[in-house]
Amino acid sequence: MKFDRRLFVNFDWTLLFLVLAVSLIGLINIYSSGVNQAYSGQDFLYMKQVQWIIVGLVFMIMAFSIDYRLISRYAYLIYAFSILLLVVVFFYGYATRGSQRWILVGGFTFQPSELVKLTLILVLARYFDDHRIHKAYRLRELFIPVLIMLVPFLLILKQPDLGTALVLFIIFCSVTLFIGVQWKSLTWAALTGLLLIPMGWYFLKDYQKERIMTFFNPDSDPLGAGYHVIQSIIAIGSGGFVGKGFLKGTQTQLRFLPERHTDFIFSVFAEEWGFLGGIFLLVMFMALILWGLKIALHSRDFNGTLISVGITALIFWEVFINIGMVLGMLPVVGIPLPFLSYGGSSMVILMISIGLLMNISMRRFILQP
Amino acid sequence: MTEIHDRLNGHETGILHKRFKILFAIVAIALSLLALRMWYLQVIKAEELKQKSENNSIRVRKLQPLRGLIMDANRTVLVDNQCSFDILFVPNRTRDIQDVANKLTYLYAEESMTFPREVFNSGKVRLFVPVKLEKNISREKLAIVETHSLDLPGLTVDVASVRKYLGGEMEAHIIGYTGEVGPEELERDEAQTYTVGDVIGKSGIEKYLDSYLRGKNGVEQVEVNVLGKPVRVLGKINPESGYNVVLTIDSVLQKVAWDALGGQAGAVAAIDPRDGSVLVLVSSPSFDPTLFNGGISVDDWQKLSGDPYHPMENRAVSGQYPPGSTYKMIVAAAALQEGLITPDTAFNCDGSFTLGNRTFRCWQKHGHGRISLHRAIVESCDVYFYNVGKLIGVDKLAEYARAFGFGKPTGISLPREKSGLIPTKEWKLARFKQPWQPGETISISIGQGFDLVTPLQLASAYSTLANGGTLWRPRLIKQIEAADGRVLKTFEPEKKSSLPIRPKNIEVLKSALWGVVNEPGGTGRALQRKEADVAGKTGTSQVIGLPEDDKARKLKYIPSRYRDHALFVCFAPVRDPEIAVAVIVENAGHGGSAAAPVARKIVDAYFEGKKIPNRKPPLVISDRNTSTRNP
Repeated sequence: MKFDRRLFVNFDWTLLFLVLAVSLIGLINIYSSGVNQAYSGQDFLYMKQVQWIIVGLVFMIMAFSIDYRLISRYAYLIYAFSILLLVVVFFYGYATRGSQRWILVGGFTFQPSELVKLTLILVLARYFDDHRIHKAYRLRELFIPVLIMLVPFLLILKQPDLGTALVLFIIFCSVTLFIGVQWKSLTWAALTGLLLIPMGWYFLKDYQKERIMTFFNPDSDPLGAGYHVIQSIIAIGSGGFVGKGFLKGTQTQLRFLPERHTDFIFSVFAEEWGFLGGIFLLVMFMALILWGLKIALHSRDFNGTLISVGITALIFWEVFINIGMVLGMLPVVGIPLPFLSYGGSSMVILMISIGLLMNISMRRFILQP
Repeated sequence: MTEIHDRLNGHETGILHKRFKILFAIVAIALSLLALRMWYLQVIKAEELKQKSENNSIRVRKLQPLRGLIMDANRTVLVDNQCSFDILFVPNRTRDIQDVANKLTYLYAEESMTFPREVFNSGKVRLFVPVKLEKNISREKLAIVETHSLDLPGLTVDVASVRKYLGGEMEAHIIGYTGEVGPEELERDEAQTYTVGDVIGKSGIEKYLDSYLRGKNGVEQVEVNVLGKPVRVLGKINPESGYNVVLTIDSVLQKVAWDALGGQAGAVAAIDPRDGSVLVLVSSPSFDPTLFNGGISVDDWQKLSGDPYHPMENRAVSGQYPPGSTYKMIVAAAALQEGLITPDTAFNCDGSFTLGNRTFRCWQKHGHGRISLHRAIVESCDVYFYNVGKLIGVDKLAEYARAFGFGKPTGISLPREKSGLIPTKEWKLARFKQPWQPGETISISIGQGFDLVTPLQLASAYSTLANGGTLWRPRLIKQIEAADGRVLKTFEPEKKSSLPIRPKNIEVLKSALWGVVNEPGGTGRALQRKEADVAGKTGTSQVIGLPEDDKARKLKYIPSRYRDHALFVCFAPVRDPEIAVAVIVENAGHGGSAAAPVARKIVDAYFEGKKIPNRKPPLVISDRNTSTRNP
C-alpha cells in the first residue's frame, strides 16, 4: 500500500476528538467509582482502563491503515474465525459468576462475543453488497443473513449472555431494515416473532426472567433484581441539576450502587455531574452517532455505507439500551456503555470500529471506480 | 463497468438520503427520550430522591440463618444455637461515639453494672459503618438500652444467633468453633459464598462441614425514617437454616474419658473396630469454644496461645508420640508374617542386649531369662524385641507399620491431622544426610527413637488387628440431615486396606495381648475385668533419651516435662471386639499404672452402657453464657 497524501489530509480529526473526549470522561468516572473501594480491589481499575485505551488506539491505527475494501475481502474468514472463538468459549471458556464468556490469552481474559459484534457487521455488509438487488428484500432472500446472525446469537445466548445476544439481533435488524425489507415480509417476521416470545421465555434462565418481571413490576422484588434499578434511580435522581461533585456521589462511594464500574457506570456519572453532565455526555454521544451516519452517507461505496451504518447502530443501541436501563426505562440486561464501562475487550473492539469509520471517512475522496 | 458502478453510491440515489433522514430522526427521538427521563429524575423528582439518598432510607439487612445442630451418635445435641444481643452504634446523625459511650456508662452505673470501654476503641468512625460497642449483653443491660433508646442516638440492638456448645471443653477439639469470616477467607472464597460479617466454622467439624452447617443468608430491605427506625419492610427473603450433623461420637464415653484424664495433658481415641466409627476423641487440656463466638478477645487469645500446654492443639490427631512398647505388637506381627520367628522362637534375656559397643537395656534389669513370643509380649520384654527387630530390619518393619496405618494421616474429617513418622533408611539419608545406624533399628523395635504415632493412629492400628485385619478410615461423621429429619448424605464406613497378615498370626497376637491384661505377670492387669474380655498393651514413651544406665530414672525428681509419657491401647471383647481404645497421658510415667486406669473406665462405661439402652446423657456440662438465653 503506497502512502497517499490525501489520506492524511482527509483524516477524520473530529471523530478522533469525540472518541478521546468520551473515553476520558469514562476514565475519570471509573476512577471515581473505584477510589473508595480499595478493599474490593477496584481502586486501580482506572489504570487498567488507561492501558486498554492505549491498546485500543494502537488497534485503531491498524484498523484505519489497511484499506477497508481489503478487510472486507476477508470478511467471511474473519467471521469464521470469530465463530471459532465462540465455539472455543463454549467448550473451554473461562466462567465467572455463572456464565462462560471469556477465554484466557496470555494472562488476559478476552471476550469473543465483543469481537463478534464487529465481525457480524463486516460480514453482513459484505453479503448485502455482493447480493445487492436494488429493491426491498423478501423473507426468503434474507435466509442466509438470518443464518449468519443466528449462529453467534445462539452461541452467545447459551453462555448465557442475553445482553450481547440482543445486541447482535438488533444490529442485524438495523442493517437489514436500512437496506429495505418488503412491508409484507416485515409483517410476517413480526408476527412470527410475537409467536416465538412465549417459547423464548421458556428458554430464559430464572434470573433473566426475574429481571424482566421486575421491570414490569419493580416492587415484586426490591432486594434481588429490583435493587440495582432502585439504587441506580436514587443515585441519578439525587444528583439533581448540577450533581454532587466529583468523588462526592454518596450512592457510589458508599457502595449502594452495584456494578458501579461496568453496566451502571452512567449512574455514577449522573450522580456526580448531575443533569448538566448527563446532557453533556448525551450530546457527545449524539455527535458521535450523527458523525457516524454522516460518514455512512458520504461513503463512496455501498459496502462502506453498510459498515458505517452497522457500527453506528452498534454504538447507538448500546448507548440507548444501557442508559435507558440505568434510568429505569428498560429492563436490566447486561449491556455496557460504550467507552465508559470498564472492560478491555469492549474498549478494544470499539476502538477498532472507530478505526474502520475513520478508514471509510478518509478514503471517501480517493476511491476511484 | 456497470458492476463497479453498482458498488458505488451514486449521489443520485435519493432513496438512501431518505433513509438517512429516518435514521437521524430515530436517533434524535431516542436520545431525547433519555434526556426527558433524566429531566424527570434529576429535576422534577430530584428533591425526593435526594432525601432518599441522604437519609439512606433504604437499607438492606442481612438475615443470619440458624446454623445446623451437631449431635452425637445417640442424637444427643452437642451444639445448639442461642441468642446473643449486641449493641451497635450506627454513625448517622451524630458520629460522637464517646458521648453515647459516656451516657451508656452512666446508665449502667445507676444499675451498678459496668460498660467495657475497650471494645470499640479501634479505628475511626465512618458514616453509616456500624461499630460494635458491646457484644453478648445481659438481659438487664438490654432493658436499659431499650428503655433509653431516645437518649442514645444511633444505638441499635442487634440480635444474633451464636453457638451454644453443650459439650463445652471436652468436645472442643472435635467440634471446633465459629467466628466472623476474615479478610483472607473472603479473598480465597472464589465462589463468593461468603459475605462480610458472615459467621463461619473456623476449625473442627464446624469448619469441615461449614458448607452444610451454615445455611443460606436471607435479606430484608427496609425503609427507615430519619431516626433510623424501620418504617416498613419492602421485601424479605427468609434465611434457610443449616443442615444438622450426626457424629459417631458417644458423648457419654467422651465424658467418661474427659473425666478420667482429670485435666492431665493427654489424649484418648476410641474406635469401633467393626466399621472404624470414632466413639471417643478427647484431647486435654482444652479450651472453651464459646470464647470465639463473635470474635475472641485479645486477652483470651493470648491466654490460650501462650499456654505451655497448648490447649488449642488436638492431641488425639495432631499429637505425635513415640509409641513405646505398644509398637511391639507391630514388630511381632512383621516377624511372624515374614517367617523370621514362630510363636515358639525364644531368646535369652539377661537384662541387656549388646550391639557393637552399645548396650541396650531391658526395663526389667534382672532380665526375663529364656522367653518366647507370648510371654515376651505379656511381660513386655525389651531384649526379645531387640533381637526380633535386628532380624527384620528397619525397612521391612516400616512396611508393616504402614500396613497398620502408621506414618500417614488416617484421613479423619478433622483439620491439621499429623502423619506421625515411620523411619526408613531412605528417609534418614534424605533427612539427615547420614546412613542408617544398626543401633537405631534396635531403638525403633521397642517404639522409641524416630518412631512417632498419633493416638488416633494407635487406636486404629489395634482395631485393625482386633477386627482380623481390616483397616478402616476413622469415621467421625455419621450423616447430614435437613431440619425436617430428611437424610441428605450418609457417610458410609470406608475400608482403606487389609493387613497382609495371616489369620493364624493375628490369633497368636490377640492371645498374647489378652495375656497382657489377664495373665499373671502381665503389664496391663489394671484392665482385668471379671469377664476377662479385654486385650491390650502398655507402653511408656521416652521424652528424652535418658542415660543408658538409667541413673537419672532413679532420681527422685525429674522435671515433669521430661518424664515419660504413659500409653495404653486395648480392645474388647477379645472375641468380636466392639471397641478399641488408645490412651496417652503425658509425663505420667508407666503405661500400666497411669494410662491403663483411664482405658479401664472407658471400657467399663462402654459395657455398662450396653446394658441400659436409651440411656440419658449427662445434662449441660458447661455453659458459660447462661445469662443470655432466648427471650
